[in-house]
Amino acid sequence: MRLILLFAVFVVLGLAFESAVPHLVSLHGLIPNLIIILAVDLGLRHHGVLPAIIAFAMGYATDALSGSNPGVNAFMMTMVFLVSHEISTRLMVANAFVGATVVFFAVILTALATIAFANGFNALSDTGPMLPRLMLEAAISAIVAPFVFAMLAGGKRLTGLPARAARE
Amino acid sequence: MRSGFLWRNRVLLTSGVLLILSLHLISAGVHPGDLAARPQSAILEIISPVDAAFTHLSDGASSVFSDYVDLLHVRDENKRLRDELARVNSDHARLEELEAENQHLGELLELRDALGTDAVAANVIGSDATGLSHTLIISSGSLDGLRVGMAVLANEGVVGKIIAISPHAARVLMIDDHNSALDGFDQRSRARGIVAGVVDYGLRLKYADRSQDIEVGDTVVTSGLDGIFPRGLLVGAIKSVRRQGPGLFLDVSITPAVDFRELEQVLVVTQAPPHLDDLADQAKD
Repeated sequence: MRLILLFAVFVVLGLAFESAVPHLVSLHGLIPNLIIILAVDLGLRHHGVLPAIIAFAMGYATDALSGSNPGVNAFMMTMVFLVSHEISTRLMVANAFVGATVVFFAVILTALATIAFANGFNALSDTGPMLPRLMLEAAISAIVAPFVFAMLAGGKRLTGLPARAARE
Repeated sequence: MRSGFLWRNRVLLTSGVLLILSLHLISAGVHPGDLAARPQSAILEIISPVDAAFTHLSDGASSVFSDYVDLLHVRDENKRLRDELARVNSDHARLEELEAENQHLGELLELRDALGTDAVAANVIGSDATGLSHTLIISSGSLDGLRVGMAVLANEGVVGKIIAISPHAARVLMIDDHNSALDGFDQRSRARGIVAGVVDYGLRLKYADRSQDIEVGDTVVTSGLDGIFPRGLLVGAIKSVRRQGPGLFLDVSITPAVDFRELEQVLVVTQAPPHLDDLADQAKD
């Protein structure tokens, strides 16, 4: 329950930030993808059924505020969670560097998957001009990720949850 | 029990079920009134006040910043005068903002009168959460009479249509989104096509026949045939026309009339445009 509440607060603030800030300040869409960072944290540090459901719910919440194909972000957040979980359990690492690296690739792959789901895989051939911006956004997300992980760890300590994976 | 197959693979199995559920949502879609649409409406309702608060905070922050800059220039004056100046400047900035907003709303009202249909003005309070799609969040919802599918306009032209709604907020799919399409035509040559968004930024006129007379600079307007946008609304101007290569259709790109990144207020047409059959019946009568 505490995990649900903690992530609910971070998701609401994250989504409000991601939807309000680009409208107020012209950053050319270069906003860190906070929801992916949260999904990676879940995958790396929380191993169970509930975190998987939370990751799906975070994606579904993102679908409510992004795009016109509900389910795309839910799918991608579940995938990001699963990949992070597998990295954490098989490679036995869950540090901030690994988290930031996963975030970097997750942002790019999620964007490409969103376009492919919405327009078919042929549309990926039109994404060339987008790639530099996408890489920059992924880099910004990766740079911000350790700070978000630290904030989450603080939140977990406050609520009495384990801040790190058991094997870290 | 904890060493069983199901327990050992519980994360993988749960994720698999959730991935299948996601794929079902993608393929089946979520329609207004569906059970799956309710959580989305609730999320929009929760986030929209936070977005509105961010907007107010931003207005306050810009006012404080302008006050600070002004104060730097009058550093030598005494504190009373600086406070007075700050107050006056703050009031002035607020009045200027109100004046600009009033002018914008006045223009929207003129547009509503010109259209001759019922319409509701709304503030833009947010944009797409991931930035990958081109959507907006506006501060009016179902309690203001808005419904999914209604047309959204600005003074300069067509903005998009409502795709999701909650009691106090709505999401607008802009016409430059890669999932958007509307029926339009070249006002000079009457050449018809489908105005669609592209993956990055901009608009395309699709399915315009190669034999059509379309030139750079021509104005593109709505045809009204899609049953969403009233006829004759400005969409944009032809930016380029390419006839090279094989294929039946022209490759036409359009510069949108509306600067979608600068939108602050929009007008939602709450009255559906008359159907062509009704117009034909009226003409017969």
